[in-house]
Amino acid sequence: MTQPHERLQNTPMKAYKVFHAPTDPCPPIGVKFYSTPPNLYVGFQPYNLEQFAPKEALRKGTLWPVFYDFYDNPYKK
Amino acid sequence: MELTQEYYSLLEDIQAVDFVLVELTLYLDTHPGDVNALAQFNQYAAYSKQLKARYESLYGPLLQYGNSLGGESWDWCKAPWPWQV
Repeated sequence: MTQPHERLQNTPMKAYKVFHAPTDPCPPIGVKFYSTPPNLYVGFQPYNLEQFAPKEALRKGTLWPVFYDFYDNPYKK
Repeated sequence: MELTQEYYSLLEDIQAVDFVLVELTLYLDTHPGDVNALAQFNQYAAYSKQLKARYESLYGPLLQYGNSLGGESWDWCKAPWPWQV
């Protein structure tokens, strides 16, 4: 299961161990990851947040650095 | 119509400004009282209109059905199309 301390931390990615029974014919999956973007931890958006420059915002997909959530494939690490 | 560096930078400016307008619209939907955001929105809306007027004067219409001027000749179907740009 997810470690307790990790659950509340504002980490963009979390993991859990997939249960594998001795009677399971398939090979164990091991660990699976799930995305936890910043908006889960921000709640109602505060006023006057810092903003990206327009061109940078277009590249990054959000106007606010607080909500920027870059995805790198944890399975490829 | 030759796709110069200026063409691409102007198009990128329009895309960036319009993206900011989308973000601000969504923000203002939940924060209607935020006057700073509203001022920024109006500023970007005016700037977007200005950029698009400039683009259309140089490269032709962006929208159809009267949302853009027709220009000297009715040649909106001439290349390049958006996916060719």
